[in-house]
Amino acid sequence: MTTRFATRRIYTRPGKINNASGDFVCDCCGTFVSVHVALSGVGNRNHCPYCLASRHMDQFEPGDRLSACKAPMHPIGLTFKRTAKKYRGHQPGELMLVHQCEGCGKVSINRIAADDDIEAILSVLEQSADLDRDTRALLERERVMLLDTDQHDLVRHCLLGIHFADAWQE
Amino acid sequence: MYANTHSPASNRGRIIRRTRSSYLIRSGNDCIEGTLSTRLKNESGSNPVVVGDMVVWNEAAQITEVLPRHNWLSRRSAVPMPSSYAQEQVLVANVDQVVPVLAAANPRPAWNLLDRFLVSAEASDIPALIVLTKLDLVAGRHLQEIEAIAEEYRAIGYAVVLTSTATGRGLDELKVCLQGRLSALLGKSGVGKTSLLNAIEPGLGQRVQATSKATGKGRHTTTTTEIFALALGGALVDTPGMREFGLWDVDGRDLAWFFPEMRPFLGRCKFGASCRHDEEPGCTIRKAVVEGLISPYRYQSYLKLRAEA
Ligand SMILES: Nc1nc2c(ncn2[C@@H]2O[C@H](COP(=O)(O)OP(=O)(O)OP(=O)(O)O)[C@@H](O)[C@H]2O)c(=O)[nH]1
Ligand SMILES: [Mg+2]
Ligand SMILES: [Zn+2]
Ligand SMILES: [Zn+2]
Ligand SMILES: [Zn+2]
Repeated sequence: MTTRFATRRIYTRPGKINNASGDFVCDCCGTFVSVHVALSGVGNRNHCPYCLASRHMDQFEPGDRLSACKAPMHPIGLTFKRTAKKYRGHQPGELMLVHQCEGCGKVSINRIAADDDIEAILSVLEQSADLDRDTRALLERERVMLLDTDQHDLVRHCLLGIHFADAWQE
Repeated sequence: MYANTHSPASNRGRIIRRTRSSYLIRSGNDCIEGTLSTRLKNESGSNPVVVGDMVVWNEAAQITEVLPRHNWLSRRSAVPMPSSYAQEQVLVANVDQVVPVLAAANPRPAWNLLDRFLVSAEASDIPALIVLTKLDLVAGRHLQEIEAIAEEYRAIGYAVVLTSTATGRGLDELKVCLQGRLSALLGKSGVGKTSLLNAIEPGLGQRVQATSKATGKGRHTTTTTEIFALALGGALVDTPGMREFGLWDVDGRDLAWFFPEMRPFLGRCKFGASCRHDEEPGCTIRKAVVEGLISPYRYQSYLKLRAEA
């Protein structure tokens, strides 16, 4: 792949990165999705809370809208966010969704929103057992550690935590 | 070639500055202050005479005729009231090159604004020269980033000069690019347009002013557009800082053509000439961005401008 135009602009980026992505209709299941923080509990909703599908819009970081790929992204597994162990002891990081782009194969790790469908997330975990060899190798190269299907209870526990926290915020 | 001293052909000259009620016209080594003839006042739209125009005047020092413009640079005028129509504001006419000026810091470079200037210059068929100023204010990875982005614009085909009036960096290189040409400096307030002019033509001593410490924004020091002759030959148009630059009269369907790096891919999309290069499947522009042949930031500028056009 040619990378002649790959300079990432960090220092010269204007103020905040543009998170003002509007509400959208999910390309995958056709549901209308609001990106309002009060509903999702996250500042940057990037996938459908019903089917968890997303689109490849970001290139360097969430919300930059710099990807020209724009192909659908589907959840392929779950992982824990890597945290600086120094500070967090043995506590695992936040539970995250792993998406892969149908168009270019890019893997990205995304926060789970408070209103994401629990059953959909659990079925992602189950289906991740069937991932092909190439995808597994890619994940290894990207140093993404997928959760095993036997961690079902832990995941359920984490998810209920997320939803519980949301209920308290209201 | 731009000549500072053309033989004074009696009553012809170039507008070098506009004041509230009159125009300063340079003819040979003379300067004449002229006003608009009643006919010009009545018949023309909002920009009958602009800096850079070649004009003819009568015995009463009234401008009676504007010679046909070779080119002109316009923007969508900042609309004073929501109810009024947007209008064309011609900034300058008959220039040899447009010089977008960006500061490496204070204020931080507005790359999207640069792309607007470049597209506008392309649409007006005027060459562009990109000047970055205040290079003395950046170091380390900040400097590297500026240099890498400059390299990307060079790869597109634009000349880019990195300067500092504090250290003198790049000024000789810049002089070579300005020599013998009429060049229009454009940019946000505080980027150092007037400082460049002062550095290239010492003795002018045009007013400059520090940017705000808190926001890095300029203080709109220069308030009129004016042509200054350079001893090395050629001339510079200093302009007031611009906050916004809305494209005027650029058709959305032509927009991609004004991004020179997109030209080789045009017409090859699945939907042909009707492709907006946004969401369409089989778009060769998007493919080129994904493959790293077009900068994603330039593509983002394209989409923003496309949404406005
Ligand atoms: N450190 C540093 N400061 C610079 C440089 N060039 C200009 N400045 C400073 O930047 C400030 C703004 O410069 P101006 O030349 O007034 O900027 P301008 O683009 O003409 O601004 P407007 O007339 O408001 O449009 C002044 O305080 C200059 O001294 C530079 O190369 N390095
Ligand atoms: Mg100035
Ligand atoms: Zn959906
Ligand atoms: Zn992709
Ligand atoms: Zn296209």
